[in-house]
Amino acid sequence: MTLLDHVVVLLIAIPILVAASMVIIRPYPNIQKWLNLTVSIVLFILSAYLFMQVWNHGIIVYDLGNWGKYGIILVADLLSSGMVALSSVITFLALLFSIDYIEKKSLNSTYHSLFNLLVAGLNGTFLTGDLFNLFVFFEILLIASCGLLIANEKLEITPSSHKMEAVYKYLVLNIAATLFMLIAIASLYATVGTLNMADMAAKIALMNEEGTLPWHLIPTALLFMVVFGNKAAIFPLHFWLPDAHPTAPSPVSAILSGILIKVGAYGFIRFYYLIFEGNLSIFQPIIIFLGLATIIVGSVSAVGQDDIKKVLAYHSIGQIGYVFIGIGMGTVYALAASIVYLMNHAISKSMLFLVSGCIVHKIGTRDMRKIGGLSSSEPFLGLMFLIGIMSIAGLPPTSGFIAKFVLFDAGIEGKFYIPILIAVIFSLFTLFSMFKSWQRIFWGEIKDNTFDDDTHTHENSHMMLLSLVIMAIMILAIGLYAEPILAITIETANQILDPQAYIDAVLEVEVR
Amino acid sequence: MNIFLLLTISIAFGIGTFLILRRDIIKMIIGIVILCHSVHMMIVAMGAFDGIKAPIIEGSPDKGSGIIFQDSLSDGILAPVVPHTTEVLHMDPLVQALVLTAIVINLAITAFLLILAYRIYEEYGTMDADELRRLRG
Repeated sequence: MTLLDHVVVLLIAIPILVAASMVIIRPYPNIQKWLNLTVSIVLFILSAYLFMQVWNHGIIVYDLGNWGKYGIILVADLLSSGMVALSSVITFLALLFSIDYIEKKSLNSTYHSLFNLLVAGLNGTFLTGDLFNLFVFFEILLIASCGLLIANEKLEITPSSHKMEAVYKYLVLNIAATLFMLIAIASLYATVGTLNMADMAAKIALMNEEGTLPWHLIPTALLFMVVFGNKAAIFPLHFWLPDAHPTAPSPVSAILSGILIKVGAYGFIRFYYLIFEGNLSIFQPIIIFLGLATIIVGSVSAVGQDDIKKVLAYHSIGQIGYVFIGIGMGTVYALAASIVYLMNHAISKSMLFLVSGCIVHKIGTRDMRKIGGLSSSEPFLGLMFLIGIMSIAGLPPTSGFIAKFVLFDAGIEGKFYIPILIAVIFSLFTLFSMFKSWQRIFWGEIKDNTFDDDTHTHENSHMMLLSLVIMAIMILAIGLYAEPILAITIETANQILDPQAYIDAVLEVEVR
Repeated sequence: MNIFLLLTISIAFGIGTFLILRRDIIKMIIGIVILCHSVHMMIVAMGAFDGIKAPIIEGSPDKGSGIIFQDSLSDGILAPVVPHTTEVLHMDPLVQALVLTAIVINLAITAFLLILAYRIYEEYGTMDADELRRLRG
C-alpha cells in the first residue's frame, strides 16, 4: 500500500491540515503565500492523477475505518473525480489572482485558512458516498464561504455593511435549506435504514421492483430538490445569489460562481440518477421546468443591471438553468452536454469575475455608468473580457459555443422541442446583455474615474493577468478542439446512467 | 414513536417557523435555533425502531440462533434481524452520533450568526431585518 493509494482521502485531508497550519504560521505571510500556492498545485496534480486512475481502472472506493457500507465511504467515479479536477483548476487560478488582490490584513490572518477549508469542503462534497457526510461538507462549504465573503478587497470598494447584509441573507436561506436536508435525511434513514448512497440506491431499486416503495419517499426526494436547488440557485430559490456573489471579493466570487453553485447540479445528478433512478420519470419534467424558469428569470434580470458584477451574477443564475435542462432531459448525450456546459460555465464565469476584479482594481467602482472607454487604456483586459463574454454568450470559437451546440443538439435529438426553443430565445438575451456591458465598459467616451491619491498602485500585477491568460487559453482550446472533452463527458454520462457499477463497487467493500 | 415526543417536535417546529418570520434579527436567530433543535429531536426519534430491526448485536453470530445478517427485501427484511424470542441488547447508535454532529454544526453556525447580527447592528444601527435593503438584489 503506497501513499498514492490514499489519494482520495489526501484530497480532503491535506487542505484541512493546511488550513489549521495556516493559523499557526500567521506571522509569516510569505511562507503562507508560497505554501498555499504549492499545496494548490499539489492538489491539482493529485486530482488529475485520481482522474487518470478512475479513467483507467474504474471506480475507486476508499473505505474509512473498514466499516464497509455501514461507515463513511469515499467514492471516486468519473463524475466526482472530474468535478474535483475542475474545482482544483479553478481554485488554483483564483488563488493565484487573489494573492495580489485581497487586502494584506485579511490575506494574512484568515484568508488562506478559510480558502483551504473551502477546498476541503468542495473535494469532500464531490467525493463522499454517504448522505450525512454530504450534509457535513455542505456546512463546511457554507461557513468557509461566509468567512471568505467578508474578506476585504484592496481599496474597500464594497462597503462592509453591504457584505454583512449579503452574508446574512446567504446564511439564513442556506441554513433553512440545510434544515430541510436534515429532515429529508432523517426520513430516508428511517425508511431504508442506511445512509450509504449506493446501499440506499440498491434498496430503493429493489422496493421499486417489488412495488412496495412507500409513497412518502417521493416527497422526501422532492425535499432534496429544495436543498440542492438552493445551493445551485435555481428559480424560486435564487434570491441570495445576486446579493452574495457581487459583494464578495472577485477571486472569491469566481470560486462561488464557478464551482460552488455547481455543487447543487452535482447533487441533482448524484441524487436523482443514483438513488431515485427508478422514479426518474417523475422528477425529469420538474427539473426541466425549473431549469427553464431559471433561464428566463436570470437572463431577463441581467439586462437591466448597472453593476458589472451583478450582471455576471444574474448570468450565473441563467446559465445554471441550461445545465438543469440538460440534466432533466436525461439521455446520454444530454447529460454529457450538461456536464460540458457546467465545465464551460465554471471556466468562463470565473474568468469573467476575475476580469471584472481587474477592472474594479483599476477603476475603483463597479458601477458601469461610471466606467467608459477603457479599450484605449486597457486593451488587454478588453480582449480577455471579450473572450469571456463570447464564451458565455455561446459564440465560436470558444468553449461556450461547443457547450450550447451540444446541449441544443441533444435536445433536438431527444425531441424536447419546446424547452430548446425557449432556451434558444433566452440565450439571445444573454448575448444582448453581455455585449451591452462590454460595450459600456470598453467603448464610448472615456470617463475620468481613476484614483487621485498616489498611495496605492492600481496597475494589475502579472500574477493576476497570468491566471486570466491561462483561463482564456483553456476556453479557446476547448472551443477549437473539443473531441477529447466530449469523449470524456460521454463516458461520464454513460457511467451516470448505469448506476449498477457504482453500487457494485461500493457494496463489494469488505466489512470488518 | 412516542406521541408526546411527536407533539413536542411539531410544536417546537411551529414556534421556530413563527419566530423566523419576525422582523427582529435576534428573534430570527432564536427561531433558527429552536427549528434546529426540533429537527434534532426528529432525528433522535427516527432511531426508535419498533420490533424487528436491531442494527447492533452483542455476542457472536452463530448459525442456529435465527439471527439474519443478509438483506432480503422481497421478504420485507432489512438486515440484521433478530427473532422476538432471542434476547439481544439493541439500539440504534447511529442517530445519536448523527445528532451530535448536527448539534456541533448548529453551535458553530449560531455563533457566526450572533456575531453577524452584532456587526449588522453596528453598521446599520438597527435590528430590524426590513431595514436591510441597501443592496436591492
